[in-house]
Amino acid sequence: MVRVILRSIGSLLLAAFLGSLIVFGLLRTIGGDVALIMLGQEAAPGAYEALRAELGLDQPWYSQYGDWLVGVFSGDLGTSYSARFDIYEEIVRRLEPTALLAFGSLVLSIPLALALGTYSAIKVKKIRGGVVDVLSQIGIAIPAFWAGLMLVVIFGIRLGWLPTGGFTSPFEDLGASLRQLAMPIVALSLGITSVLTRYVRSAMLDVMGEDFIRTARAKGRTRRGAALVHGVRNASVSLVTVGTLQLGSLLAGTVVIENVFVIPGIGRLLVTSVLGREVIVVQSLILVILLMILVMNFLLDIAYVLIDPRIRDSQGGKAIV
Amino acid sequence: MSETTHLDGYETIEPTTSPAGGRSSLGRMHGFRVGKLPLPLILGAVLVGAFILIALVSFVWTPHDPTAMVVADRLLPPGSDGYLFGTDKFGRDVVSQLMVGARNSLFVSLLSTSVALVIGALLGLLTAGAGPRWRNLLSRLVDAGVALPGILIALVLATSTGPGNRAAIVAIIVWFIPTVARVTIGPARQILALDFVEAAYAYGRSRWYVLLHHVTPNIGPLLIVLGSVMFAAAILIEAALAFLGVGAQPPTASWGRLLQESQPLLEAAPALMFFPGVAIVLTVLGFNLLGDGLRTLLDPQQATRNAGLL
Repeated sequence: MVRVILRSIGSLLLAAFLGSLIVFGLLRTIGGDVALIMLGQEAAPGAYEALRAELGLDQPWYSQYGDWLVGVFSGDLGTSYSARFDIYEEIVRRLEPTALLAFGSLVLSIPLALALGTYSAIKVKKIRGGVVDVLSQIGIAIPAFWAGLMLVVIFGIRLGWLPTGGFTSPFEDLGASLRQLAMPIVALSLGITSVLTRYVRSAMLDVMGEDFIRTARAKGRTRRGAALVHGVRNASVSLVTVGTLQLGSLLAGTVVIENVFVIPGIGRLLVTSVLGREVIVVQSLILVILLMILVMNFLLDIAYVLIDPRIRDSQGGKAIV
Repeated sequence: MSETTHLDGYETIEPTTSPAGGRSSLGRMHGFRVGKLPLPLILGAVLVGAFILIALVSFVWTPHDPTAMVVADRLLPPGSDGYLFGTDKFGRDVVSQLMVGARNSLFVSLLSTSVALVIGALLGLLTAGAGPRWRNLLSRLVDAGVALPGILIALVLATSTGPGNRAAIVAIIVWFIPTVARVTIGPARQILALDFVEAAYAYGRSRWYVLLHHVTPNIGPLLIVLGSVMFAAAILIEAALAFLGVGAQPPTASWGRLLQESQPLLEAAPALMFFPGVAIVLTVLGFNLLGDGLRTLLDPQQATRNAGLL
C-alpha cells in the first residue's frame, strides 16, 4: 500500500512538472511575442519595452520558467496586466467555488450513476432498464451549458424558486450557498452521470456473466441480490477508471458552467483572461486546473487499490491484507 | 483478457484475415434488410442525414437572409408570420440562422475529426509497430494525452493565437489524436501478431507496407465507429467554445454563439435559447446513435467502447 502511494506521488510530481513545462512552452511560443499579444496592435512604443521588463520577458526562457515555478510555491505570480489584481491572491480566492462545484458534481453523479447503471443492467431485458439507457443517451447529447440555461429559465425565471446565479460561501450562509449551487451542480452532473451510467451498465453486464455470479445464484441468491452483493464492487473498479478520464471534462465543464451562472471561480477568470489575452494569468490558471486534475487522479488511484485488492496484490508485490 | 482470446476473435470475426473469406465486414452488410439493422443505427442515420442535408441546403436556400436585420420584426415569438421559430433582437430569422449554424458545426467537426483520425491512426500504427522501448514511451504519452480536456487546449490556443474557428479546430484535433491512437494501438498489435503478417514480412514487405496495406484495412471499421462518436464530441465542444466567445466569431453563425446571444434575453425571449439547444442535442444524439449502431455491426469486440470521449 505504502509503495503504491509513493509511486502515485512520484508520478503526480513528474506529471505536474512536465505539464507546467508544456503549458509554459505552448503559451510562450505558438502565439509569438507575449508582450505584443497582451498589448494588441496599437501599442505605444514605450509600453512594449516596459511590459517586457515588467513580465521579465527580457530574461532567457529558463529563468522566466524558474521565476514562475518559484512564484507558484512562494505565492508571487505577478499582477494582472489590464485588471491589476494580484494573480496569486485572485486564484486562491476563486478556488473555493470551483472546487465546490466539481466536488458537488462528483458526489452527486457517482452514486447516481452506480444506482442507475446497476438498475438498467439488472433490468436489461425489461422496458424500465431500456428507458434508463435511452435517457443516458439523451443526457450525453445535452450540452451542460444548455442544461444550465434551461434550468435558469424554468426554476430561476418562470418558477422563481432558485437564484439564477452568483455564489455565496457555505461558511457564510449555508442555505443561500446551496440554493445558488443547486442548479450549476445539476447542470454539470447531467452529462457526467449519463456517461458514467452507461459505463456502469456495461461493466455490470460484463460482471453478471462472471463465474462468481453464477456461483452466488446457484447458492440461492436472486439476480438482483447477486448483482448488489457481488457485482457493484466489481463494476466500481471500471467506474473509477472512467472517472479518471472524466475528471478533465468535469473541470472543463466547470469552466463553462461558471460562465452560465456567473460564479466567480477559476473558470470564469480563465475565460475572461483568455478573451483579454492575459497570457500570464492564463498560464497560472491552466497549471492550477492541471494540478486539480492530477490530485483528483491521485486520489482515484488510491481508491482503485482500496476497492480492488487484486490491483494491490499485483502492484505491491506481496499482499498485505 | 488474454491475448489468445483476442486473436481467436479477430480471426473468426474479421473475414479479411481468414484465408477462406475475401469480404470485409462492410461487405457483409449488403445482404441486410433495413428491418434487420439495429434501431439506433437507423435513428442515428436519419438524424445525421437531416443535419448534413440542412447544412448543405443552407448554402443555396434559407427562408430569410440569415444576416438581414429587420428592425420592425425584432424578438418575434415562434410561430409569427413568416418566422417559424421567431426572430432575435436584431430581427434576424432564427430558422435561417440555425441552418447556417449547422454549416459551421459540420465544417469544424468534419475537418477536425478527419484530420485527427488520419494523424491519430498513423501515430497508433507507428506505436503498435515500434520496438518495445518506443512503444512503451509512446503509449504512455498517448495515455496522458487522453486525459487532457479539449476545452482547456482550446483556451490555451485561443490565448496565444486569438479566438476563432481555427483555434477550435486545432484544439479538437489535438484533443482527439491521443484517443484515436489509443483505440488503434491494441487492435493493430493483435493483427501484427497474426501469421499472415509474418508471411508478408517473409515475402519482403517493409514495416510501413504491412501497417498500411494489411493492418489499416482491418482497423478501418473501428475508425469509422470512432469517427462517428468523435463527430458528436466535436459538435459539443464547438458549441461550448462559441458559447464562451472563444470559438466562432461574428459574423460566422454558430449554434453556440446563438446560445451566447440568447443569454441576456432569457427572460424576454426564452425561445431564442431553446431552439439552438434542441438542434445541438438532436445532432449529437444522431452521431452517438449512429456510432452505437455501427459498433454493433463493425466492432463486435467493442474496442472503441472505452475510448474515453465525452
